[in-house]
Amino acid sequence: MRKLKKITFVLFATLLLVGCGDSFLNVDSREDVEEADRDVTYTPNEFVIGVYGNFTEFTYAFSWLGVTEIISDNANKGSSPSDTGTDKHLLDGLTFSSTTPSIEAVWTEWYQTIGRATYAIEYTQNFEMTDETLRSRLIAEARFLRALCYFNLVRYFGDVPLQEQSLTVRAPKEEVFDYIIADFEYAVENLPGKGEYPAEELGRATSGAAEAYLAKVYLVKENWSESVNYADMVINSGDYSLDQPYETIWREEGENGAGSIFEIQARGKATAHGIQQYSATQGARGTSGWGWGFNTPTQDLVDAYDSEGDEIRKNATIIFAGETLFDGREVSPNTENPRYNEKAYSSANAGDGDGDKNMRLMRYAEVLLIKAEAENELGNTTVALDALNQVRARVELDPVATADQAALRQAIWKERRLELAFEHDRWFDLLRTGQAAEVMQAHGKPFIEGKHELFPIPEEQLRKTPEMKQNPGY
Amino acid sequence: MVKKYGFILVSFLVLFCCFGYAQAQEIEVSGVVTDAQTNETLPGVNILVQGTSRGTITDSDGSYTLTVPDANSVLVFTYIGYARQEVPVNGREEINISMTSEVLQGEELVVVGYGTQEVSDVTGSIKRVGPEEITKQPSLTATEALQGKVAGVNIIQNDAPGGTPTVIMRGLGTALGGRNPLYIVDGVPVDDINNISPSDIESINFLKDASAASIYGLRAANGVIIVETKQGSDGAPQFTFDNYAGYTSVLNEVNMADAGQYITYFNEENAAVGGFQLSQNQQYNTDWFDEIINRGYVVSSTAAVSGGSDNIKYYVSYNLNKEEGLLDEQTFWRQTFRNNNSYNLFDDFLTIDQNLSVSISKENPKPIGAFNTAYRQSPLVPAFYPNGRYGQAFVNQTTGVVTYQAGPDESIGRLNSHGNPLTAIAFSNDESNTITLQGNVSANFNLTDYLTFTSRLGGTRFYSDQRQFNPIRASYIAGDPNRTIEQYMQNKVANPNSTTWANNSLVVQNTQTYRWNWDNFLNFNDSFGKHNIDATIGYSSEETGVGKRFEGLAYDVPEEEQYWNLDLGTDQYEKTVEHTNFTPTTLLSYFGRIQYNYDRRYYVTGTLRRDGSSQFANNEDYYELFPSVGLGWTISNEAFMADNNTFDFLKLRASWGKLGNQNVPFNSTVILTNTGSGSQNYVFGPDQTLRFGASVGSPARDISWEIIEEYNFGADVEVLESRLSLTADVYQKTTENLILQVNPLPNSPFEGSYFDQGAEVVNKGLELSLGWSDTIGDDFSYNIGTSFSYNTNEITSVETGFEGLTGGSLNNGQISKRLEEGHPLGAWWMYEAVGVWQDENEIANNPSIGGALPGHLRYADLNDDGVIDERDKKFFGSYIPKYNYGINVGLSYKQVDFSVDAFGVGGNKVYDALNNTRLGGENIREETFKERWTGQGSTNEHPGANRDAVASSYYLEDGSYLRINNITLGYTVNKLVDHVSSVRFYLSAQNPFMITDYPGFTPELASVDGGRPYGQAGIELSAYPNTRTLLLGINIDFQ
Repeated sequence: MRKLKKITFVLFATLLLVGCGDSFLNVDSREDVEEADRDVTYTPNEFVIGVYGNFTEFTYAFSWLGVTEIISDNANKGSSPSDTGTDKHLLDGLTFSSTTPSIEAVWTEWYQTIGRATYAIEYTQNFEMTDETLRSRLIAEARFLRALCYFNLVRYFGDVPLQEQSLTVRAPKEEVFDYIIADFEYAVENLPGKGEYPAEELGRATSGAAEAYLAKVYLVKENWSESVNYADMVINSGDYSLDQPYETIWREEGENGAGSIFEIQARGKATAHGIQQYSATQGARGTSGWGWGFNTPTQDLVDAYDSEGDEIRKNATIIFAGETLFDGREVSPNTENPRYNEKAYSSANAGDGDGDKNMRLMRYAEVLLIKAEAENELGNTTVALDALNQVRARVELDPVATADQAALRQAIWKERRLELAFEHDRWFDLLRTGQAAEVMQAHGKPFIEGKHELFPIPEEQLRKTPEMKQNPGY
Repeated sequence: MVKKYGFILVSFLVLFCCFGYAQAQEIEVSGVVTDAQTNETLPGVNILVQGTSRGTITDSDGSYTLTVPDANSVLVFTYIGYARQEVPVNGREEINISMTSEVLQGEELVVVGYGTQEVSDVTGSIKRVGPEEITKQPSLTATEALQGKVAGVNIIQNDAPGGTPTVIMRGLGTALGGRNPLYIVDGVPVDDINNISPSDIESINFLKDASAASIYGLRAANGVIIVETKQGSDGAPQFTFDNYAGYTSVLNEVNMADAGQYITYFNEENAAVGGFQLSQNQQYNTDWFDEIINRGYVVSSTAAVSGGSDNIKYYVSYNLNKEEGLLDEQTFWRQTFRNNNSYNLFDDFLTIDQNLSVSISKENPKPIGAFNTAYRQSPLVPAFYPNGRYGQAFVNQTTGVVTYQAGPDESIGRLNSHGNPLTAIAFSNDESNTITLQGNVSANFNLTDYLTFTSRLGGTRFYSDQRQFNPIRASYIAGDPNRTIEQYMQNKVANPNSTTWANNSLVVQNTQTYRWNWDNFLNFNDSFGKHNIDATIGYSSEETGVGKRFEGLAYDVPEEEQYWNLDLGTDQYEKTVEHTNFTPTTLLSYFGRIQYNYDRRYYVTGTLRRDGSSQFANNEDYYELFPSVGLGWTISNEAFMADNNTFDFLKLRASWGKLGNQNVPFNSTVILTNTGSGSQNYVFGPDQTLRFGASVGSPARDISWEIIEEYNFGADVEVLESRLSLTADVYQKTTENLILQVNPLPNSPFEGSYFDQGAEVVNKGLELSLGWSDTIGDDFSYNIGTSFSYNTNEITSVETGFEGLTGGSLNNGQISKRLEEGHPLGAWWMYEAVGVWQDENEIANNPSIGGALPGHLRYADLNDDGVIDERDKKFFGSYIPKYNYGINVGLSYKQVDFSVDAFGVGGNKVYDALNNTRLGGENIREETFKERWTGQGSTNEHPGANRDAVASSYYLEDGSYLRINNITLGYTVNKLVDHVSSVRFYLSAQNPFMITDYPGFTPELASVDGGRPYGQAGIELSAYPNTRTLLLGINIDFQ
């Protein structure tokens, strides 16, 4: 018995010794591959793809509609009266505040894309690679996309932080514009032209796209000659034309067509990947419907088309309840709303989560209209009229002939509205041209001058960075 | 590490070497050992000469003969169930001893982790519940039966078949980490006790305060529940059979508006927004709850046998529990088999305990979302159309008649966006099978009478096999009576790659997990004069979460259940397989505890546990030390109290300790990639080829366990000849470094939220238990037990930038909860409803939320800025009850026994989201209909038929209730026939009634998403109703 006890005791003592050791606690991961075990080196290209990819976020399918079109005279909230789409009724009614989620969503989205771009730029700069042309092209792509986001931010919020410099200090507007211009200029210099990419890279930012955006940036800055300068570069490149019937531009066959300068790419076939639910949120709702029914064209827009006798663009832009669409789809006369956005309609993926709808962001027609507007401001009426009338000719409208600068300005602005309706430019345009107060008040919307020219800085941001000041009126 | 415990080891070694000497002048002693109460002789009593290994046991007549080394030797008599006795020989040759049964002495043993302790010696806050209380109220999981019986333990029932109760001890101290207490079954740590039949449980011990729980260190933050299963005892086989059966129905029914009321409401709503009107002339008046709710039933059968001899004791049992729920074909059944054996070897030197249990369950769940749909669907919609097709919300908008048929120029619309709840039930074909094997073997070496070494190996293996069959085609066709199979097949042909048009899908999931633990500890227990010492040291190693998961998906298998094999799926669509091996967690712990008392008057308990967890491998900071101290003073044992006639027992307790929560979330990898439609990816090229990209995620902060510090003060009092007993405890429990999900700055480059430690939460509470038991005459006895717990929860500090975690999604984009300093965890946060807009004028002249119309709720502009937005939202307390209480009364007169258990909670609010989140056209409760706003001046409290779906205080309801949990009437017949010692018949009503103001099924909302405080806890969207069960049962004991 005593022997047994001793054995037991030795056993216990041994067990105590055996139990120790950190090696027991250092368990190998089996589910997530640890960084060191990843046999993966990320290529700069992957991070650049990630920047483009951020433009496919759901924000562009919903919040983006709210802050570009629903808020404007082009569109109503749509959907059923009780479905507010979180806050689309607030944007539609101009009763939004700093806590309105859509505003926070686009703010966050753009800064996220900027963050991805900056990371991609730094990663590419430091990456060991021999192809310097590719290196500068990738950096230029990222800078192009970053500038795009800052361009949106500065137009909507005014002074905004330059993320690479400070998260708490709002850089003056002019500084932000300089930053944007520097990025776009780098893109102009280092990006290939439309035809210069290998076919499989179709959809990447081109030097032409950068030039077109510079033309637009200078238009906003009212630097008319620079605007004309960059618009001419696009026009003279010969890469783009209006050789595409207007109504086919938003169909599958029209993707990346003759007039396409920059668009967000989408794929409808498995594995599908597009802007999350972009077509679904704007699809017809109710009987025969396929979507949520948001962002519906206003009667005012219909009237605007009708006042020009503009049947082609009206029918290409608007789905009317009861009509039969180009692809044979019958839309019931009893849909929830009388009109829907046809530019968001996808034949193949109507209400799918991921659809094939490319979002057209910059077209040749807009460059012509930028040129027209800038030339008109410079007093070059004939050139301006020529550019404007090219756009009108495609949709079988009579040329404008006025020589009066103010009248021509109005004609160009109206042309922009009709040509670019539902291409997410209307609210930018109303603010840029100073028409917003007048137009919105005429619609019975409580537009307050000195306040609504800018969106409020999101409350969530101010709560965390209280040193940032709110925009006036909020 | 080794060094640290080395000296303790050496001291034990010294003790160990102190015995085993021998001297001359031996004498022979003999005698008889008897039971002090019955005077019957006791065979098998262990007798040992103190300080030697010399000993013997009594024979079948209770006699013994033993040669002792000298006249001054001391004999130690030990016998299981009896108090140990030390008797000096003093030169005597005959020593007769009568031993006192410990049970009769009234000393209850509580299990404290790696040991037991007498109740009166406890310094912490521990509550033991015995087998009678556990099985008195029939239940599937033992904790369910204990609601309202243990102060400080909040148990939330879940009445769905197979549903398991949620247990929260002493408030919520974590927002994102694990909230469940740690369960220890026969020394084996497990996640739950769902695999154990309540009839197999000998005791459940709730270790509530830090001094009691800290022996389990890093997992004890939410309290520890120690479960001991039944063991055999000496003697002839004892058989018990327990059976009961009953049926269940809904406890609180919800009255919905009928067809006529619905038409009025719908028309008022549509008039306000400009939609079509319903005709008064309709064909159907469906009561959807009637359509979906059936009577459920529950059956349970248990058979057990136990017995044993000196060397082997056994307990074998089998239980079958079967439930059918309120929904069609909603079933759960579980079989458990248990075998607990105990072997005494080498004259009790070695005891081996072996426990083994097998639990097999099968569940056919049905979507509880059906209750949601049944609430919302219009009574005008039929369950089925006359042609047998499922009714849907179609309405002829031209005639205003609810039908799917339309004449020429008439149009069909929908009343609302909801379907037919019967389809959800009929087309849900889920099945889940599990097998749990659980067991442990422990070897106890009685090295001396004061030194025991225990080595214990435990393990649990869990197999789960689940399948989900989704009849896509059938449910699509059921969605609209105009749809045909032919149409479907055309679509299928037109979209050959789209699984949208597959006939069906089958998902098969297999999960296996395994865990083991190995504990080794040494226990020292001895008395030196008035000094009583019980010391334990040891270590434990454990590995959990070893396992794997396999999931396969196939489409278009044959419709009949017998063919639901992935292999029989079509090749037209891609079959997918997922397979993951889990990363296990290892724990390595060293612990020591000393329980000392002087003369059973002054008590000190000290515990130290050093825990290491592989969870924190990232920063290689594995270890943390968890200390605790408990003090006790039994005043009633003081000499100066000897003459007092008031207090039969009086004890004060105080404790302090630290606990940890290692079950916390972790930050993910820095680089994000995605293999599908993630926003890291993009398409390029004429064919729009998907190209995979990457992006930077969140900052990977290292985080560590949540640390809880707790103080406890308590008192135990017994007066009036121990008929009245009172236990009171107050505590303060502080979670020092609460882990929060932090959203990055909106303008930062980081994308996802990440976890960081940035808040402190304090739970303060009071617990009272009051018991009275007495007998009147020989035949009548009664007892009354009450428990009361009060707990306040407050976030006492939040680091800058960490505030603003929101939650409580209402599934419509609205949120209802927010984290902020000064408020409880999971506090409600929403607009304050201050009336109803009476007319347009009022809206125009006051701040209103966008889209306000007359009849909508009016919200307070709390910051007076003329705008109603998030900054006007307000905190409204918590969904967690501030207090709960239980009242249990038992009577017994001759052969009749009767008991009533009541339970109540208060101080909480629940959110009636079913009423709130309407999109338009849904049905409402009858009450909602009757009290609605119908025009200017009608009411300034309740909104009209047209209203918004914004979260507001209007929909917050008082969540307090008082429910009778159980009423049981039993009758026992003794010695009915030979061998049958007793037969008891009983009739039991569970949840017979409930008093509450809450208008829904129940304010006791079982958690739909695991009870996350910032999830949907406390929000009624699809709750399973509380059920009422009537049972008839019979217990038979025989030998």
